[in-house]
Amino acid sequence: MVTEAYIYDAVRTPRGKGKDSGSLYIVKPLDLLVTVLDALQERNGFGPDVVDDVIVGCVTQVGDQGACIARTAVLQSGYGDRPPGQTVNRFCGSGLETVNQAAALVASGFQDLVVAGGVESMSRVKMGSDGGALFDPVMVMGRGIVPQGVSADLLATLRGFTREDVDTFAAESQARAAMAQDEGHFRRSLVPVRDEAGMVVLDTDELPRRGTTAETLAGLRASFQMLGEQFGLDAVIRQAYPHVEKVNHVHHAGNSSGIVDGAAAVLLGNKEAGDRLGLTPRARVRSVAIVGDEPVVMLAGPMPATEKALDKAGMTIGDIDLFEVNEAFAAVPLSFMQHFDVPREKVNVNGGAIALGHPLGATGAMLLGTVLDELERRDLATGLVTLCIGGGMGIATIIERV
Amino acid sequence: MSGYTITTDDRIVTLTLKVARVNAINAEFATALSNGFDAARAVEGVRGVIITSGHRDFCVGADINMIFPLRDPEAVYAQCRDLNALLRKIETSGVPVVAALNGSALGGGYELALACHHRVAINSGRLMIGLPEVSLGLIPGAGGTQRLPYVIGLQPAMEHMAAGQPVRAPKAARMGMIDALADDADDLIARATAWINDNPSPTQPWDQKKPKWPGGARPKTPQAMQLFVGASAFLYKKTAGAMAAPEAVLRAVYEGTQLSFDRGLEVESRLFARLATGDQSKDMIRTLWFHRTAAEKVGVGLEHHVSKVTVLGAGMMGAGLGFLSAKAGCEVVLKDIQAEQLDAAREHCAKQARRLRHLDAEAQDAILNRITYTLENEPIRGSDLVIEAIVENLDVKHRVIREVEPLLAEGAIFASNTSAIPIARLAEASQHKDRFIGLHFFSPVEKMPLLEVIQPPDCSDETLHRALAFGKAIKKTNIVVNDGYGFYTTRLFSAYILEGCQLLAEGHDPAVLEYAARSAGMAMPPLKVFDEVTLTLGVHAFETRETITGEGFDLAGLDLVRKLVDLGRTGKSAGKGFYDWDTRTLWSGLRDLVTAEPPAETGLEHLQRRLMIAQIAEVGRVLADGIIRDHKDVEIGAIFGLGFAPNTGGPLAWIDRQGIRPLVAEMQQLAEDYGDRYAPSQTFIDMAERGERFWDPT
Repeated sequence: MVTEAYIYDAVRTPRGKGKDSGSLYIVKPLDLLVTVLDALQERNGFGPDVVDDVIVGCVTQVGDQGACIARTAVLQSGYGDRPPGQTVNRFCGSGLETVNQAAALVASGFQDLVVAGGVESMSRVKMGSDGGALFDPVMVMGRGIVPQGVSADLLATLRGFTREDVDTFAAESQARAAMAQDEGHFRRSLVPVRDEAGMVVLDTDELPRRGTTAETLAGLRASFQMLGEQFGLDAVIRQAYPHVEKVNHVHHAGNSSGIVDGAAAVLLGNKEAGDRLGLTPRARVRSVAIVGDEPVVMLAGPMPATEKALDKAGMTIGDIDLFEVNEAFAAVPLSFMQHFDVPREKVNVNGGAIALGHPLGATGAMLLGTVLDELERRDLATGLVTLCIGGGMGIATIIERV
Repeated sequence: MSGYTITTDDRIVTLTLKVARVNAINAEFATALSNGFDAARAVEGVRGVIITSGHRDFCVGADINMIFPLRDPEAVYAQCRDLNALLRKIETSGVPVVAALNGSALGGGYELALACHHRVAINSGRLMIGLPEVSLGLIPGAGGTQRLPYVIGLQPAMEHMAAGQPVRAPKAARMGMIDALADDADDLIARATAWINDNPSPTQPWDQKKPKWPGGARPKTPQAMQLFVGASAFLYKKTAGAMAAPEAVLRAVYEGTQLSFDRGLEVESRLFARLATGDQSKDMIRTLWFHRTAAEKVGVGLEHHVSKVTVLGAGMMGAGLGFLSAKAGCEVVLKDIQAEQLDAAREHCAKQARRLRHLDAEAQDAILNRITYTLENEPIRGSDLVIEAIVENLDVKHRVIREVEPLLAEGAIFASNTSAIPIARLAEASQHKDRFIGLHFFSPVEKMPLLEVIQPPDCSDETLHRALAFGKAIKKTNIVVNDGYGFYTTRLFSAYILEGCQLLAEGHDPAVLEYAARSAGMAMPPLKVFDEVTLTLGVHAFETRETITGEGFDLAGLDLVRKLVDLGRTGKSAGKGFYDWDTRTLWSGLRDLVTAEPPAETGLEHLQRRLMIAQIAEVGRVLADGIIRDHKDVEIGAIFGLGFAPNTGGPLAWIDRQGIRPLVAEMQQLAEDYGDRYAPSQTFIDMAERGERFWDPT
């Protein structure tokens, strides 16, 4: 690497329930994003017109999230007119993609100070309301593309996870999130969302369901069973997996990521930019990776992405202290742990998207902050963030405290 | 010669189309329609136009003779474009246009009706309505995929067009494909006239400012997206990707929801041009249109001289045959040796009769009253035709033939429904070998259209003709073959299911093997269909074959079947065979029965290839043995009797498509690698040397 890419700070909003009863439903995604941009500026004391670019992940870029929300948010923030804005869609990898792009721009020497991040108001802009080239009949009938829930069930089937396995994982995610909330593990990154009068709209993640156990989850009906069996989606996957005669449908709302609203921002820059602003770097980016993978099972990308990132960093899996593997569906982190033989104690130690929610375009940036906070709290060195991505992709980032 | 007439009544013009022998859509028809409509429109002060037909049917769709040879997409596309322009002119000319359907409106005929503002049909079950294009590997090419969703809704429209099953007029009216039903021809015009009076300036739904599909999801919403994903998946579950046309239907409908109406028509035309000039539609049209039409005529115009039929054996097949014979107007004796069997048969027939909804209870009862159920031989006396459908045992059949023959009417025919035993062997017990014939039906006989007629050398042509006529009387499609063990269809079927067993015994994954068959287009995968026919029957058949032909079957696949039978896993009727039928999934213990090491070469494509070629090799031997009289019967028998992949046009069309030379080389290699069952027969080898084909290239 020509230049080190440092992470100076990371902030996020709390995650509100992604429906019209959710606290953040009344807050425009633009305001969610401005909240984190301004918080980053305030905490790090940089003035207007110093940021080289603002790159923001957002998946459903229509309606309130259309027309390049990144640039729009810059104009509403205290960043001045000079910082441009770019909105990125790499599905669920978008938030981490922006971190990786920012790191690459800094490392290349082309830019000095870049803000990465993401935003998604799933309560206001419905998932799928941007149409879907991926779900064109041609893709379904010709490539075997199915809705992610069916892919998740396929992944569980291929890797032999039972309903009990995924429910146990989900209950543990809830327990860890509750513990993290109680002990204030998210305090460092969390920025409350306020209204124009300055009143707090939401200052804590509101999705977790305390007291969730594997037993309470066992009563829920698998969400994709009927779609799979009666509507024929299980037949569609046989294009790629002819040996899978029967998909074991194990996922439901309780062991899949929650639908939420939220935003996150991460400040990255080179050494000189930090020095100029009097900032101390918290970590550096060791390596980044993005991969394409088999699109029918769709969600197995974290494994090859992680392998690629480790390879680039010259590290092995044992060199990583803590992992954040996005809990899109319980089978995803379970597959990751099975594949790398990583203990549960190192993975998603403060819970994950099953308990806290997955604001599509923002999650990657949020997880980066979460792992950084926890590395500092435990005084550990290295962390890896990885997410599965629609269309069969995977993304990973390895950071190291400095 | 103009192909149309116009009459005017109170400034409403009736345009009656009458082109050639039937109204089929071709250049001549389009000219008549165009000129006729212009003429109608030119009538001074015209208030509306009623389009109807001077033929028995309104219009039966595209002229297949015209389409079949076309290989140039540009030419096909140009025809679609011109026809669409004409239909657009009709629906946007500023006067109401009503389709008065005096007879069936199919394919392009129904598309013409869709381009009218209102559709009235005579209320008769004779009238068939719909868009069956996919059954020939095509899609509607005159706006059907764009208009029907507006008329009956996205989902029903996709279902109708992807299935390609026309419906009778009353049902079409219930579905909304027809707006009104009329009592007769006069009422038809009266209702059309009344509608024009009430609707002086209608606009088509797709020409409204904000077009709306009836019911359900709005286009370009997540709900619509889900609808299309669901429809795509549902279709894929049925076709396993083997059928190009229904997939294109979904694509055309989907893209239509994204586009302006006229450009949606363009997308449809382009898809149509690709399919109409592609291999799959050529092979399907040749077999499912030309060969089938020819096969439907076999037996037409002949007399069966049968008024009393005896069916021996009142199982599923016997009861079904009894019912069909009674339905055709014959007096029927259903004879069995078990009272319970007769009770079940009585119930079966009653159930079948109640399904004939177009008949009233009295007419249904009349059919049932023609059937006598008996344990005795005496009621058989005087029968003109006997069909035996008893146990597949040569000695038992011989005994029964000797017992029954003396009771029959003068000149009676004795027919055996054996699925495999050579008819000549059975006829050894007959005093009248000239009137002894094989009539091989398929189960369930009420549904399966095929009748394989086997004429052994001693059987007279007169007997054959009467049998064919009887086949037509019970609405079957006849094929005629020469005698020999398993005739044609049973040999092909045996090769198929045995190949499934053999591949399983070689250690291939049964789930992949079954799916390979489906994705090649086979209606039923081999192990599943074997379960349905019952494994014990299969084992018995192979043993009988050994006894009769002296051929040995030392195949691991057959041993595997015997093992399953020993475990009590005898098939669907037992609830378990290759499959666990309560869950309809392959038995998890199957893999443990297989002793072979996992094969080096496997996978979807490999298994597809072997499943197809094992069948093709048997067809080669059937040809070499002189069983086949007419090549078209190879295609018809395979598809309509056994559910052989219809997308291929049948085994011979499949061979032509591969090219006989590379195919023979591949078969020889497979024979070397995996066994003689793949070896090409001399017929194929000779053809390969001469570079011959079965069908003219198209």
